[in-house]
Amino acid sequence: MTTSAPAARGERDGRADGAAPARPAVLTMQQAINRALAEALAEDPRTLVFGEDVGRLGGVFRVTDGLQRRFGEDRVFDTPLAESGIVGLAVGLAMNGWRPVPELQFDGFAYPAVDQIVNQVARMHYRTRGAAPMPVTLRVPSFGGIRAPEHHGESLEALFAHVPGLKVCAPSSPAEAHQLLLQSVRADDPVVYLEPKARYWERGPVPDDGPAPPVGTSRVVRPGRHATLVAWGAMVHRCLQVARLAAEDGVELEVVDLRWLKPIDADGLAASVARTRRAVVVHEAPLTAGLGAEVAALVQERAFRSLAAPVQRVTGFDVPYPAGPLEPKYLPTVDRVLLAVQRVLEF
Amino acid sequence: MAEHTFLLPDLGEGLVEASVLAWLVAPGDTVERNQPLVEVETAKSAVEIPSPHAGTVARLHAAEGATLAVGAPLVTIDAAAGPDAAAGPGIVGTVPDEEPPARRVRLRPPPE
Amino acid sequence: MPVPDRTVAEVLDPAVPDPIDLGGLPTDLLVDCYRHMLTARLLDAEAVALQRQGVFPAYVSLLGQEAAQVGSAAALDRGTDFVFPTYREMAVALAFGVDMVGYLASHRALWHGGYYDPVRSRFGAVNAVVGGPVPHAVGWALGERLRGGPGCAIAYFGDGASSEGDVHEAMNMAGVFRTPVVFFCQNNQWALSVPNHRQIAGGSVAARAAGYGMPGVVVDGNDVAAVYRATREALDRARSGGGPTLVEARTYRLAPHSTSDDAGRYRDAEEERYWRGRDPLPRLAHALRSAGLVGPDFFEAAERDARGRVTRIREGVASAPEPPGTDMFDHVFREPTPELLRQRAAWCEEERP
Repeated sequence: MTTSAPAARGERDGRADGAAPARPAVLTMQQAINRALAEALAEDPRTLVFGEDVGRLGGVFRVTDGLQRRFGEDRVFDTPLAESGIVGLAVGLAMNGWRPVPELQFDGFAYPAVDQIVNQVARMHYRTRGAAPMPVTLRVPSFGGIRAPEHHGESLEALFAHVPGLKVCAPSSPAEAHQLLLQSVRADDPVVYLEPKARYWERGPVPDDGPAPPVGTSRVVRPGRHATLVAWGAMVHRCLQVARLAAEDGVELEVVDLRWLKPIDADGLAASVARTRRAVVVHEAPLTAGLGAEVAALVQERAFRSLAAPVQRVTGFDVPYPAGPLEPKYLPTVDRVLLAVQRVLEF
Repeated sequence: MAEHTFLLPDLGEGLVEASVLAWLVAPGDTVERNQPLVEVETAKSAVEIPSPHAGTVARLHAAEGATLAVGAPLVTIDAAAGPDAAAGPGIVGTVPDEEPPARRVRLRPPPE
Repeated sequence: MPVPDRTVAEVLDPAVPDPIDLGGLPTDLLVDCYRHMLTARLLDAEAVALQRQGVFPAYVSLLGQEAAQVGSAAALDRGTDFVFPTYREMAVALAFGVDMVGYLASHRALWHGGYYDPVRSRFGAVNAVVGGPVPHAVGWALGERLRGGPGCAIAYFGDGASSEGDVHEAMNMAGVFRTPVVFFCQNNQWALSVPNHRQIAGGSVAARAAGYGMPGVVVDGNDVAAVYRATREALDRARSGGGPTLVEARTYRLAPHSTSDDAGRYRDAEEERYWRGRDPLPRLAHALRSAGLVGPDFFEAAERDARGRVTRIREGVASAPEPPGTDMFDHVFREPTPELLRQRAAWCEEERP
């Protein structure tokens, strides 16, 4: 449900960051999320933003910078350190008519909140036979690639995608970040919104708020005819790197940004594979029971006769995200993806 | 004496750039290890970068006000000989790299 | 000039407020505390410099908390007790005898838990999930009681962590089981950007002890003698079967939360100046000098020793080897799964030039 009052739109255009309405503003991803949060707060007075250090500090990645000053301490506020409590607070607020957008400061700090996320947020609508919807958007700075300390780089998508009642998305660019966040906060279901920390400072054009493809729609970010690379978050960029290198060899790879990890765009995947006949799915998370398995299953269910080779997975290993110098070895490298492409091409 | 070019490190976990606010040394200055060289500002904070070596400032690689990418040369120090210059060779000044798109695997297009 | 030089001026500054009472404590203990606090101060400054120089991706300074950490560590028995730290307990590690190159390997991101052996060191692995290790201390202490051992556990945590459910669950269990554990809260006033009054309802962590059936003590965390006495008393109680104690050491984090943080965004310089005037190092130096416990050359010699040690630790950590990539796979299980071994082999194959 969207309540987009004209007054709210006027306020949106009056932003202090100088975004010209005529031409898309060029923003970093964290600025794009900041802008989406500001728009969500402006357009619906029921929207609340809270979490650890999101108020006065503006978040450790400055994603909520300036929001407390602009919208007041009732609507943008710091909480004590209590991740389970933060998500539990969101449940109660939602039951009282608010639309909470809590932040869990880092992915590793989502684990202490798993009880409230899984046992409470995810199934309140079901438990109450729809009487208590949970329009909660849980923002989680996620994934690796920044040499962060332990518990500051984790891939949660398979864990949460597995939970009935949760939707999950992960943007790959500033524009996607803006659009997916607005979609998430406008949805009446709980969405876990995973922000790729490694891409926070990437700049890109961010069009004004406007019509968006439905929840659960993927996007072809680079068309190609020899194989499809499927990814989300920061791995979309790894796949684009690979596609550029493959082009040097005359191999045209299609890159699909899944965007939504639940629901997954099975039709979009099938359509791409129908064109390319081969698929490689790339993610940072460990291999076993990762979403690559879900993608592979959907592709073979929907496009079995199109396939010229088994779907390949290039992923993190079945190990915890390692520290500093080992992290680049853990994350899918260009060569590991190229090897998988070679396997599907030469099958 | 040996020249060491110090590259701008990632100062705040995943940052990609920083701006030079003010140089605190000039070419020709003698510096001690850990003596502040330059004040830079990132998206997260303003910080002073201390010299990784004792020696003489040979060159500054960025003007005040300039924005530098992580990994770009910041300053070259003509390091004094001795144990300090030898400490941690190859470590000081390296940056966490986004893996360069270097490749070893070559592909062949499939038969049409 | 290099940051560590400030220490000399601080130490020699005669105008030190808040005198501390050394009464009854052995000179050796106090001198050791001073040496450890000074070494921690200098090593902390080196660690910050190493981060600015790109060697550490991040570091969390304990500047200003040396007395709380060293004073409490000095009260522990290194042969029997076990420390459960979070991530800002570098001076505890130092005073407790942990291999500091191995400890700082965690901050150089060579291995998340560092290169030291937490079991032999009796000092748990650095832990970034605040509150998470606190129940471990209760479990360790329960185990010690069950096996009839003499050891006590100590859980370090901060004012921010005191809001976490794990901490409350742990305290209640410790009260129920009467385990030999000390909950040592360093209340450094700021949980990243959030001040005490927005973090701790009621204003005191120690006051919560009453609800969990244990004594709660507030102590001046910048007075190393007071911290030592309070911790010692809590340990004596635990060791003699008296159950847990909650010690709240009121101190101040003079540095930003981490090297990625900018404290200027949320607190004013006046407050920092106030607390700089209560710096635990000059307070102890002043007390040692006033009491005539050290000779005229002591401070210079102590600083020379500390600098030498800090240089050796810095060189050790800066040149410590990176772990081989196979370490990723080799520490996941005692009995690795066939799939993990397959992944390891595939990785080795793909890495080969």
